[in-house]
Amino acid sequence: MQRTVFSQRYFAIPDFVILLVIATAIYGVVSIAHEWRTEFHPITQIDLSVRALPYYTMLSAVRGMVAYFISLGFTLVVGYAAAKSTTAEKIIIPLLDILQSIPVLGFLPGLLLGLVALFPRTNIGLELAAVIMIFTGQVWNMTISYYASLKSVPAEFGEASRVIGLNWYQRLVKVELPFSAVNLAWNSLLSMAGGWFFLIPCEAITLGENEYRLPGIGAYMDVAIKSGDTRAIVLAVIAMVLLILVMDFVIWRPILAWVQRFRLEDVGGGAHVEPLMQVWIRESKILHRMKMIYRELVLKPRRVRSRLAGEVSVDAIVKIRAPWVYSVAYRIYRFAQLITRSPRVTRVMQMTLGFVVLSLIFFGAYQLFSILAKIPPATWIVLLRNTAWTFFRVLIALLLSSLWAVPVGIWIGTSVKRIRVAQPIIQVLASFPAPMLYPLALGLFFSLGISFDWGSMLLMLLGVQWYVLFNVLAGAMRIPKELNDALLLMEASRWARWKNLYLPSVFPFLVTGWVTAAGGAWNASVVAEYLPYHGTILKTGGLGSTLSVAIANENFTLFAASLFLMVLVVVTLNRLVWARVYRLANTRFKMDL
Amino acid sequence: MNPAPLIELNHVSKSFTLESGAEIKVLEGVNLAVQEDEVVALLGPSGSGKSTCLRIMSGLIEPTAGRVLARQKPLSGVNLEVSLVFQSFALFPWETVYQNIALALEPMLLPAQEIRARVKKVIDLVGLEGFEEAYPRELSGGMKQRVGIARALVMERPILFLDEPFSALDVLTADTLRAEMVKIFMDKKTATRSMVLVTHNIQEAVFMAKRIMVMGIHPGHIRQQIVNDLPYPRDDQSPAFHRMVSRIHALITEALMPDTPTLSHEVSHQPKPTHKGPPIETLPNVQIVEMIGLLEAIADQGGSADIFELAHDTGKDFGRTLYLAKGAELLDLVDTPKQNVVLTDIGRHFVSGDINVRKRMLHELFGALKIVQMTANLLRRDESLRLPIQELIDQVGEWLPNENPHQVVDSLVSWGRFAEYFGYNDDTKEVYLDVGQETT
Repeated sequence: MQRTVFSQRYFAIPDFVILLVIATAIYGVVSIAHEWRTEFHPITQIDLSVRALPYYTMLSAVRGMVAYFISLGFTLVVGYAAAKSTTAEKIIIPLLDILQSIPVLGFLPGLLLGLVALFPRTNIGLELAAVIMIFTGQVWNMTISYYASLKSVPAEFGEASRVIGLNWYQRLVKVELPFSAVNLAWNSLLSMAGGWFFLIPCEAITLGENEYRLPGIGAYMDVAIKSGDTRAIVLAVIAMVLLILVMDFVIWRPILAWVQRFRLEDVGGGAHVEPLMQVWIRESKILHRMKMIYRELVLKPRRVRSRLAGEVSVDAIVKIRAPWVYSVAYRIYRFAQLITRSPRVTRVMQMTLGFVVLSLIFFGAYQLFSILAKIPPATWIVLLRNTAWTFFRVLIALLLSSLWAVPVGIWIGTSVKRIRVAQPIIQVLASFPAPMLYPLALGLFFSLGISFDWGSMLLMLLGVQWYVLFNVLAGAMRIPKELNDALLLMEASRWARWKNLYLPSVFPFLVTGWVTAAGGAWNASVVAEYLPYHGTILKTGGLGSTLSVAIANENFTLFAASLFLMVLVVVTLNRLVWARVYRLANTRFKMDL
Repeated sequence: MNPAPLIELNHVSKSFTLESGAEIKVLEGVNLAVQEDEVVALLGPSGSGKSTCLRIMSGLIEPTAGRVLARQKPLSGVNLEVSLVFQSFALFPWETVYQNIALALEPMLLPAQEIRARVKKVIDLVGLEGFEEAYPRELSGGMKQRVGIARALVMERPILFLDEPFSALDVLTADTLRAEMVKIFMDKKTATRSMVLVTHNIQEAVFMAKRIMVMGIHPGHIRQQIVNDLPYPRDDQSPAFHRMVSRIHALITEALMPDTPTLSHEVSHQPKPTHKGPPIETLPNVQIVEMIGLLEAIADQGGSADIFELAHDTGKDFGRTLYLAKGAELLDLVDTPKQNVVLTDIGRHFVSGDINVRKRMLHELFGALKIVQMTANLLRRDESLRLPIQELIDQVGEWLPNENPHQVVDSLVSWGRFAEYFGYNDDTKEVYLDVGQETT
């Protein structure tokens, strides 16, 4: 009732906001298109005045969104392929595992040099390189989670759609996408945050002699840091916070609220507050008009009018049109499926494919080895020592994160009131790219007398603590109330409740947090151990700084060696250590009442 | 009978491979034909492969051996003459009632008004008017299943499969829906020509089906076909109905709970042992505590009760109750002459004792079982009296080749724990002989 009154009196507000959003989006796309087509100019002069900042922020936002849509497309195609074909699965999943452990900067030299060489005249190569690097910071977890969702579609849904006779596209749209929607939305949110993390090196990079800089908030920050302009640094931080808040308000909140309808379990409690933006979207007259136009012009003609003759039969199961990209991809897949129908052909195909993959691996390994062989033993010793240093920092960062995030996460997660207040705040804090805070944090550390060696560890902590907090919070929210009540009735002390209930029940979640945080910390070491600051460059012994130095000096041998070591360590730790802890956590401490 | 069956199974068998690599036969040598204009019920306890049978006929899974014919042609892929109603409803929670039903018409690309007309027709038929815009989560179980039935009917396919359609519902709702389902079928307002019903509920089978295929276990097979010519609509209070139910009762009891020769005093009927010594018993997959509950229920009825009344009174299905009775019989706590379950003297003593008396008695009775003694000997081979559970599973697989060894060992451990005979440590995955020692 109240809402209709509200919307009648202020009918302009929703439309105004939505028009603003649409206009900004169009302006952003036009501006970026303009930037892409300008003549090749590797170094954009960055204007450090406040007035230039909104434009830069918008350009970065558009890069992030473009990268996100590429990520989404990649996810929908690759995740689908991995879930539907066992052969594809065997190749894609381990590959994603490795790609996930490569820090964004690891992709940089190849991408940058390749794309600039491909488009020597316009800035499109440089822009594309930036977008694709942001993409590599977003995409992997999305793809893996989409694959996992597709694999866990309940069996009876699959049976129902087969009996009904849905074709692959109808099944995708009506069953599989809705089922994956909640996961996909949450991972999109996380991915967006992951993409921002390396925004500075994506927009401003020194590769040997050559410097590259694109107009954007990351480059703005880079210039501000290098010139030691604290005012500009603070301004950039504020602009970034605003960008995250606006995106949270305009995009993520409505989306996360909207995907609630795709939950499998009943959503209990009517206390759900509808995000304001969702209300506006619903009440906007402009959007309503646009929807009508779409329905009249696009949907209606698509309905096939011809009535199929006779009773329902196999012939009546006709295919409807799918977007052509999916269509082409699926045709190829179906073609492959058809020619591999006979087991012997399948066998031959799989062996051929296996052979190709193996030879590629051998070739790659040989190439890598021939590069690595050039490195003298003394350098290896330094490399290994640096690996040990970074390993140590990662461990301490995890430990410190856990020390504060576990109690705080449990404290927040055990009260509905506290969750409601804290969750949106944490969400925004966690989305903020920690490297943008590094210069300010370092200033603080130095004034406290903390050296960069220790400081860089704290910088790592800054980025990864949220993973721990998020997961502990999720675990704490699931602590069964009955168990808590039981302990309260026994008059168990606070410590006894923590020891016997809270800590064991969040443990599996904590492990998930550790795994993600550890991977993130290894990647963050690239920017946390090597940092421009007030005109100089700070560095400390570590694998991340070695990688950064290698990029800055265009030393590709060292680059290959340090990247190889990092991937090796992360993947090995994941496989050997974390997987085991994870299994233990999920058998011993799993809550099934 | 019509000469051309809609669906036919010829010597169909199905095996699944367990994670451990062992093969489990769930269905063997099944012959079945579904004719036009009839309702066939597949009736059997869990593990008789009735759901598997249904899924093979619908083309959702392929048999390991044998042939599936749809209108006399070999079936490849999903059988598009079949629609299926699920036990768990399988409704899409993100679609409204209307959309869930309309989804079934999606593949046909009908014009919008045709879709509306057909959906409206089935919504009327199953009584869902007014719920069109509701989401499944807003509906009770009974209403959800109405949507499930409507979705199956709207496709207008000649064969309707019902996979335990009413077993997730409360008794009253199930009765109502069952009667409505029969009425819809008899009225012939839908395209449905034949129905196949999977159930473990004897009354349900007798109420709905013209032919009842009674299925047995180890591995799943059709034991017997019973033709049920009672006229529709059937009255479940009529003497004829009761006679039919008792007939099936007797058949199932005989199959699952054969009267032991010592009880019947008819030594000549004793089957000749196929191998030396007493046979190795298999343990039914039930919990001791549940079994004690059954014994107490029998004691409440004066120490003797009809197995089917017992099932009805305790609210369990007859298959489960039979397994419980079999378990109790194995431990000499009850005798099972015909359809009755009678407490033995041991059983009476057991029921009257407190928990410690019961545990002591169980320890002895359980220890007297052949499979328990063999397991105990196996454990004594090692000084620590321990054995990895996987080795025990493998061993049981050899002793009882026709059983699922995982299930048997599960029961062995859970009974053994209760009887303080065996223990099991999930961290080390070892089974040990419980000799009262402190475990670390």
